[in-house]
Amino acid sequence: MAKVGVYVCHCGSNIGGVVDVEAVCKHAETLPDVVVSRQNLFMCSDPGQEIIRQDIIGGVVDKVVVAACTPRTHEPIFRKVLEGEGLNKYLFEMANIRDQDSWVHANDKEGATAKAKQIVASAVAKARNLLPLEDKYVDVTKAALVIGGGVAGIFSALDLANMGNKVYLIEKEPSIGGVMAQLDKTFPTNDCSACILTPVMVDAGTHPNIELLTYSEIDAVEGYIGNFDVKIRRKQAYVDWEKCTGCGACADACPVRTPNEFNAGLDNRGAAFIHFPQAVPKKAVIDMPNCINCGGRTIGSEQKISKKTGKPILAPCERACPAGAIDRSKVADPNGEIIDVKVGAIIVATGYKVMDKDKFKNLAPDSPNVLTALQLERLISATGPTGGQFLRPSDMKKPHTVSFLSCIGSRDERHHTYCSRVCCMYMIKQAKLLKEKYPDLEIYMHFMDVRTPGKDFDEYYTGAIDMGINIIRGRVGGIDMLPGDKLRVMGFDADLASNIEIDADLVVMATAIELQDDIKPFAQKLSLTLDGSGFFKELHPKLKPVETPVEGIFLAGCCQGPKDIPDTVAQAKGAAAAAAVPLAQGRVKVNPTISEIDREKCSGCGICEPLCPYGAISMIATDAAHPRARIEMTQCKGCGVCTTACPSTAIMLHGYTENQIMAQIFALTA
Amino acid sequence: MAAINLTKMDKEIIQKIIDHGGKGITKCIQCNACASVCPVAKAGFPLYGRLLFRKIQTGHFEEIIEDSSSWACQACNRCTEICPRDAKPFEIVFAFRRIQANELAISTSAFTPLMNLHATGHAVYSEASKELRQKVGLPAVPVTSIANEKAQEEIRTLLDNSPMGELGIF
Amino acid sequence: MEKCGIYLGCNIPFRAPDIEHSFYKVFPALGMEIVDMEGATCCPAWGTAPSFDIDTWLAVSGRNITIAEDKNVDIMTGCNSCFGVMSEAKHLIDHDPARKKTVDKNLALIDRKYKGDSEIYHVSHVLYKNIGIEKIRENVKYTLKQLKIAVQPGCHILWPSEVMAVKEKNSFFPTILKELCEVLGAEVPHYSKLNACCGMGAMRSTDQVRSIGLVKEKLVNMKEEIAPDMIVTTCSSCYLQFDGAQKILKEKGEIDFEIPVFYYTQLLALCMGFDPKNVAAISETPRDAIIQKIQSEARLLN
Ligand SMILES: Cc1cc2nc3c(=O)[nH]c(=O)nc-3n(C[C@H](O)[C@H](O)[C@H](O)COP(=O)(O)OP(=O)(O)OC[C@H]3O[C@@H](n4cnc5c(N)ncnc54)[C@H](O)[C@@H]3O)c2cc1C
Ligand code: SF4
Ligand code: SF4
Repeated sequence: MAKVGVYVCHCGSNIGGVVDVEAVCKHAETLPDVVVSRQNLFMCSDPGQEIIRQDIIGGVVDKVVVAACTPRTHEPIFRKVLEGEGLNKYLFEMANIRDQDSWVHANDKEGATAKAKQIVASAVAKARNLLPLEDKYVDVTKAALVIGGGVAGIFSALDLANMGNKVYLIEKEPSIGGVMAQLDKTFPTNDCSACILTPVMVDAGTHPNIELLTYSEIDAVEGYIGNFDVKIRRKQAYVDWEKCTGCGACADACPVRTPNEFNAGLDNRGAAFIHFPQAVPKKAVIDMPNCINCGGRTIGSEQKISKKTGKPILAPCERACPAGAIDRSKVADPNGEIIDVKVGAIIVATGYKVMDKDKFKNLAPDSPNVLTALQLERLISATGPTGGQFLRPSDMKKPHTVSFLSCIGSRDERHHTYCSRVCCMYMIKQAKLLKEKYPDLEIYMHFMDVRTPGKDFDEYYTGAIDMGINIIRGRVGGIDMLPGDKLRVMGFDADLASNIEIDADLVVMATAIELQDDIKPFAQKLSLTLDGSGFFKELHPKLKPVETPVEGIFLAGCCQGPKDIPDTVAQAKGAAAAAAVPLAQGRVKVNPTISEIDREKCSGCGICEPLCPYGAISMIATDAAHPRARIEMTQCKGCGVCTTACPSTAIMLHGYTENQIMAQIFALTA
Repeated sequence: MAAINLTKMDKEIIQKIIDHGGKGITKCIQCNACASVCPVAKAGFPLYGRLLFRKIQTGHFEEIIEDSSSWACQACNRCTEICPRDAKPFEIVFAFRRIQANELAISTSAFTPLMNLHATGHAVYSEASKELRQKVGLPAVPVTSIANEKAQEEIRTLLDNSPMGELGIF
Repeated sequence: MEKCGIYLGCNIPFRAPDIEHSFYKVFPALGMEIVDMEGATCCPAWGTAPSFDIDTWLAVSGRNITIAEDKNVDIMTGCNSCFGVMSEAKHLIDHDPARKKTVDKNLALIDRKYKGDSEIYHVSHVLYKNIGIEKIRENVKYTLKQLKIAVQPGCHILWPSEVMAVKEKNSFFPTILKELCEVLGAEVPHYSKLNACCGMGAMRSTDQVRSIGLVKEKLVNMKEEIAPDMIVTTCSSCYLQFDGAQKILKEKGEIDFEIPVFYYTQLLALCMGFDPKNVAAISETPRDAIIQKIQSEARLLN
């Protein structure tokens, strides 16, 4: 006979404020095999745990039910109590009477109490039937994969590499650097972005433990913590990177003109191009969809000899390359090359994009003098399209009046309800940089409110006011296009309580930070989920900020939510530390609550094999004629699909056996 | 102006606004976008959208019930198009109008179109139109309700049986 | 669509019947049969039922819509306010089952049933989408070459864009009316207050001074930025405001210019060769000179 102890938690007022804990406790005492039933304000606190501990030591209980919050965060805590006192930790069952009861039925105390009793009864019924289970361990591949080479990915990669781990750093663009490489200067210290980022990029590019794979994407991810099998697709660059010296001769020779992404579309680049001057690695690529195959030199075409000159006909890029890195006669697979790597942990650091201006129809998006803030970064950057000269796009004249508009697409139910968090600060930065350089520039900044929570941030903001930058509280509703390429900004000054108009030469709008359009299929490859705002979801917003629901996969930087560089780097280092744990331990525990096949019962029908969403089942021939199903324990996630499908009931899901579940059902329907 | 003691205000008007079609009143975050493009604000009326909403949110009623600004609302819906909270500001302005109208806190000039509507089916009508119409080669009266007894009866039935019928305007 | 119900409203038949007459001339000539909506009432104007009770508004609008439904035609209106009131009413009835129920109950009092199968269009939508720029081009006799037009689309045809059956690509920078004028040969430059409100409607009856202030801003802006030969609108309210306010402003000495104003179909009718006595005979701001200019021999297309 089992000796079940039931411990009901008040969770402060979370449960106690709704559920009659006393009544639930009393009810528990009446359940079969229950020997004690106790309550505490916080069962997970030290004194709370101590109550359970004492009952185990005293031999009062040998199975434990805690009725409290969610097993997602608290099951490990209570299992540790059992383990500490020599009791098998799987002889524990949690009844969630908070998330699934008191929180959802806060207005129905009686109903919530009745439901709590049922939930506890069901947990007790299962507990009576629990069996001890043993943890298993597998070895870990001591290597990590970092996806995304922005400032987050770079810092994660460097930290992991410096700890002695092999790191594969994957970047989809030809160079690492991310958005930070596009920035001019950075708040709150106004240090030049390139000056502080470039050395770190070089470190990442030359680190003996880092294998940098740029112009590359993830094709497929399989496996589990400690042993992920990753297929990386190295995109076809059509340039031999072994030979390319990054001189840029091909880019200069290419006649194609297509919008230059690095300069946020403010100027054009060739189909052959180098990402940006400080690129790491500094290698050219040919962007084939935009290539016009000059001279009929399609890739893999036979070389023709000019009748006139007797020399081979070459495309300008081929002709220009002094290193012989471009040979368009060579057949090249447009799909690029697949590289297989095995890693123990993965960090996702894929960053973000900013919204385009054309969604904001009331703000004259068709005017060339309406810019996104990222475009302004490029416009004032020394490496930008104007060499850092502040000239407005329509006529290359120096603007006299500039308006900054905040919250464009952020805090807006038509687009994103969240605050993009960095815009107030970077707009103040941009305004200050401009005002420093051009003191007679008139600057108006339209805010809903100014958000500067950060070290030295508010001082940075008040400094802008001291400089004579005009801060206006009130959201801008419209922009008119005036003759002479001017713009009439129609705003409102809440403090004046008046409509205002600004005749501006240039308008800069802080468009929202959001994830890339193709993020969903990417997330699916990693079995990751996105949250309500569309960013990658962390395991717990407070306590597990870099972990994900997939063990062994971690998050760093803006892919998890908008943040500035200081926070990005902090999180990147946190993610590296978290990812280093399994790599350092050398082995990871495999959850024993997984499925197992009873070879004797298995008929070899094979129904289960295609059903497993994790590909954990394979049919192994015991002898020539009789295949039998086999479950790879490291791949099984314990979802139980196979268990329910097997016509021979040959599959058992440990921790959720048939009699355990039936007992729960009986208890619930009693 | 003396300080307003917010704790002593009566917030009943908020529910009233909601009941009259201004569901968005609780959503407004006072960002001022609506005011920045609103013709009522631009023309200088004292109680344009955003400010009206603040007065309502803080429980002002007596102070604003007689103000005629809401009757200058053009129903242009610029505000609806851009409000970041999707509060549908126009609906709130009209909800306030409806409260004013049902309290008869409106200018008497608003009654003429209503009486016209009840009598002829047209809010705007003048006998002089007959001459104008003939001048441009059209029959003296159009095919609308103006020359249509049945139509006029229908519109009267609709109006008389509506809450408007109880206001004693017709 | 070869035929369409014509919903007249109040201002057009009683204050600007030459606009009404221009519909009867222009649409059949462009192959669009016009179907009368006998017994139609006021839409009802924003200042009437919509300002008192939503359900009464929906009942009156709903009744008007049933007139077209019973004749199996869509509705075309020439007045922006009517278009706005009825488009919003239809949107509410079609998207809010509780409102629909009340409308059904109210219309049952007068033996009518709202079905929801007639769409609501504006005159400019029918011209632009159903008849098309090309068809207009083919039917024009006089060209407006070297004449400059300031267009005034008006508010209620633009917002809320959610409820409109035909939408501008960008309602803040509308182009439909511009294109309709350009096909007549005119130059239609952008002016910065293109989408600003003219001040007509409820504001005019609430506070004439402020209302006229808005139209003055707009007139001065047009004059300064593009100096148009005429103002062309597809809103009968804007038409009355621009036409009437200039006289007032001029008398007060607040402006020293006059710009003739046309409702679009008036101008189109003139370009198609119809008699101004029918289609453009009533106005406060003189337009005889420009009418003569438009229908001059030199402008005849072969
Ligand atoms: C206009 C503007 C100004 C700013 N100014 C400042 C400032 O002054 N100070 C400050 O602290 N912060 C500033 N920020 C914020 C700063 O840009 C971010 O904090 C920082 O860039 C976040 O870095 P990240 O690595 O998370 O993302 P990113 O910089 O976006 O890097 C992500 C990288 O991942 C790559 N990638 C994406 N998807 C994939 C994929 N599927 N496979 C492989 N690679 C992928 C991308 O190509 C990119 O290189 C500014 C932001 C903006 C928009
Ligand atoms: S735009 Fe919307 S949120 Fe902003 S003040 Fe107006 S109603 Fe309120
Ligand atoms: S609908 Fe009324 S409140 Fe809204 S912008 Fe137009 S005039 Fe202002």
